[in-house]
Amino acid sequence: MATAEFGSHNWGMVVDVDKCIGCNACVIACQAENNIPLNTQDRVERARSISWIRVERYWEGDFPDAKARFIPIMCQHCENAPCEPVCPVYATYHNSEGMNVQVYNRCVGTRYCANGCPYIVRFFNYWEPVWPKSLRNHLNPDVTIRSRGIMEKCSFCVHRIRRVSRKARSEGHEVADGAVQTACSSSCPTSALIFGNFNDPNSKVSQMKEDQRHYTLLDQFGTDPNVIYLAKIDADKKVGAGEAASHG
Amino acid sequence: MKLNRREFLALTGKTAAGAVIFAACGLPERELIVQSPVDLPEDLVRGEDAWYATSMGDFTNGDGVLVRVMQGRAKKIEGNPDHPVNRGKATARYDSALQLLYHPDRISEPMLRYSKAGNLVPIDWDAADTRFMEALSNATGALTVVTNPLRGHLGSVASKFAAQYDGKHMAFDPTEQGVLHGAVKSVLGQDQLPTFDIANAQTVLSFGADWLGTWGSPAQFGVKYGEFRGQHNRGYLIHAEARMSITSAAADLWLSPIPGTEGDLALGIARVITSEGLVSNENNAAFNAALPGGLGSHGIVDVANRTGISVDRIENAARYFAEHTPSVAFGGGSAGAHTNGSFNLGAIYALNILVGAVDSKGGVISNPSSALDGVPASATGASFGEWEKELAQWRAGNVETVIIRGADIVHGMPNSVAIREALKNVPNVIAFGAIHDDTMDFADLVLPEQTFLESWGSDIPEPGPGYQVIGTQQPVVGLTISNDESGLISDARGFGDTLLDMSDGSYGRNMEGLVRGSLSDLHDTGSGSVSASSASLFTDGALQRGGWWDTSKVGSSSLGKVNTSQKNASYSNTGSLGAGNDFNLIPFHSTSLFDGRLAASPWAQQTPDPISSASWSTWAEINSKQADDLGIREGDVLLIRSSSGEIEALAYPHPGIRPGVIGIPMGQGHHRSGRWAEGRGSNVLSILVDQKDAATGALAWAATQVRVQRAGRRVKVPKFEGNVEARPVEPGVPVLVVGVGETAHDAQEANHHEYQKQFLGESRESGEHE
Repeated sequence: MATAEFGSHNWGMVVDVDKCIGCNACVIACQAENNIPLNTQDRVERARSISWIRVERYWEGDFPDAKARFIPIMCQHCENAPCEPVCPVYATYHNSEGMNVQVYNRCVGTRYCANGCPYIVRFFNYWEPVWPKSLRNHLNPDVTIRSRGIMEKCSFCVHRIRRVSRKARSEGHEVADGAVQTACSSSCPTSALIFGNFNDPNSKVSQMKEDQRHYTLLDQFGTDPNVIYLAKIDADKKVGAGEAASHG
Repeated sequence: MKLNRREFLALTGKTAAGAVIFAACGLPERELIVQSPVDLPEDLVRGEDAWYATSMGDFTNGDGVLVRVMQGRAKKIEGNPDHPVNRGKATARYDSALQLLYHPDRISEPMLRYSKAGNLVPIDWDAADTRFMEALSNATGALTVVTNPLRGHLGSVASKFAAQYDGKHMAFDPTEQGVLHGAVKSVLGQDQLPTFDIANAQTVLSFGADWLGTWGSPAQFGVKYGEFRGQHNRGYLIHAEARMSITSAAADLWLSPIPGTEGDLALGIARVITSEGLVSNENNAAFNAALPGGLGSHGIVDVANRTGISVDRIENAARYFAEHTPSVAFGGGSAGAHTNGSFNLGAIYALNILVGAVDSKGGVISNPSSALDGVPASATGASFGEWEKELAQWRAGNVETVIIRGADIVHGMPNSVAIREALKNVPNVIAFGAIHDDTMDFADLVLPEQTFLESWGSDIPEPGPGYQVIGTQQPVVGLTISNDESGLISDARGFGDTLLDMSDGSYGRNMEGLVRGSLSDLHDTGSGSVSASSASLFTDGALQRGGWWDTSKVGSSSLGKVNTSQKNASYSNTGSLGAGNDFNLIPFHSTSLFDGRLAASPWAQQTPDPISSASWSTWAEINSKQADDLGIREGDVLLIRSSSGEIEALAYPHPGIRPGVIGIPMGQGHHRSGRWAEGRGSNVLSILVDQKDAATGALAWAATQVRVQRAGRRVKVPKFEGNVEARPVEPGVPVLVVGVGETAHDAQEANHHEYQKQFLGESRESGEHE
């Protein structure tokens, strides 16, 4: 079993786009896990919905050759995160475990971070989150309810990491590969989302990162994300056709 | 540590300032964490949680789940890693179902309508029990118990209760699976739906069934699909469906046949395989034996003309299917929902005989019968033909009492059967449910029902994994107290327990006793996934794991014949429906609301449809080029008219649907169902025309033709598409796609090259003028 030393984690995710079917299981699992406010019709229509992970769908071609492509997008937890230096109150920073962290009780809602993020994965709470009283029963006590006026985003389910780490520490062993599952990776039926420790060379994510299909989103910006994508495979795509693939 | 606001601001100000200074000095950010007196709350998780293994009853086809419970409240539903069906994985429906437990509009207490024209008024359970007994007292021989298709102990109890009163147990499924069960039985000789060894197949050929989204067991199939794609030789998926479902989107080759011609397409594929000699003579002979009349009229050109699929595509599909084995073929959903549905599905399943895929690795695997006597492993709704006869009895006043549970028949039945009038003629209508639905508007007695998180039961997955499985369901929360301490959210009881209370006791006293008794019986077999020294320990072990399964108990097939009684599809008539253009209507299940049973959940409502990205509404998918020709734009309110009625839907043109076809999701259009569902969208099921499959009498729910006309209004479609600016890999390349064996780097280079050529000009790209 692959293990890593205490404190030597660099958490990250590998998204195998070839396995993503666009089912949105990850989206709802995230909503439930992280006490995300209900995206009512009004908020959807005003483009004010909050979704820490979303599945984007793109069309290619026309009938009968039309193709729908899906790609899940969440905070990329960049090593060179454009959102971090712009925050005037240090509400967002990079921690020692590779995660871009949002400290809600420092955030004053300037939204500079959202402007700086090229992936558009930061969300502003325009309204106080409201649930009918009975529905508050299912809120996750491990996760803060964010108030009106502050930013929020994917946390890599940091509370799950803390629970597993605390348990491992108390039992005197290290966090095993696969022991920490984010809500989205746990739900994904096709295992398109894999979470793990990039510092552990034997972890699944480290091995998948070496796949020849790996790339990062908006690589040209130099953000150095901790989310690695594996490209979609099109079995009928002609590789090396003409000059295309040979140019470097 | 308690802080007042002033102290908090002072601390955070100092921390922020210090952090900036430290960062400027290049100190590691670890210092920041240590020096910050205000911890991130998520760093300080407290409290212990418990995870209970159970099943989800009406909301999956037997998946095993784990429910996270803290301080007596259910917090999250995830897949059970131990369970052999979904192996720890989930669908978007899991957590949505959790919201029904704590729904603010849950029925809190029994309610009685003193006269048919009156209102429901709250009563206590003693009065409700008395009223229930009165309704049963004159119902011998005139009782009908209506449920959704039920497997496991609840199905057994409902049937035995009806039998005790010499009545009927009728299951209702708006998109009934009787045609599928019939085809599997006639071609493969199997009583249970088979499973498909997708994980070990090299080629999957599917028809009509959106098996990755809504059909059968999406969590089970999703796990297998991940393995199918992850094989050393990546599997190849061919899917035939008139509209782009998420299975169509996942396919390497998508075929979009004219609705109702899926059987022709299957036989066209068979024609190519046989004429090119791609399979053994033995398989050929077995296939011919299963197909009365043989491939006679199915020449490849004829098939191309009938299905609207080009000869090239049919040949490609056939060659891939026959040459890259193991391969498996299956179908369902809209492919079986035609007047020739039995022929369509029969022809599709017979393809497995042609490539030797029956009961073999990577093929179609039969499932065994139930491990428990009298506990059904398979369930399907009564046919539409049977329902028409039954409702005639209701209208004639020949049925004294109807008990309804898990089936919103007023929402689910087409207008043509006049279900409301039928219910009005039944003296005693007793409805169970957690949330008030459309059917309860016609009930004389409404009883609050416990959800799957509060009650005992069992579920046998269908399709199972190829061996015997009994999934257990147990209460994971106690009384559901409201968060504001105002009292119980619902004083509900289990449906099974209520029936058993009213029974003569000959088939059990309560559901817990029945489930525990059955587990004790399984202990006596001495086999399976749980091993224990006593029945009590065995029962605890099975409940902790979420059930029992035995990989040694498998099923078998006996090859039969395709039902060819009606080969050609017929459609409803639109002759007298006024102005507009005619379309084939394809209703489809919503990935989140399904057929409407989850419409009450706000999470289900807000979940974007994978294809349109729409939520909270009813939209109509139409081919984008055809929409242009007809002057239809996104958001146009369309009037969709059949001989059964008219609904409105918002136009959503896209390129992934066959011209002449209009796709509309099920699940909306409820008069009731709680604050988030009431009065929202339209009910496409209501306008289906009463056409039936010739062989089984099942409703041909994809055989309705509609006339479509613009209403002259346009509104914004509530959708996620466009809410976030797209950030493509290159302009015109939103998602990086590689060919087999191609690296991402090479693909990016090729895309960049193409971009330069397209936007900067061929000459500059080639360097001629540099």
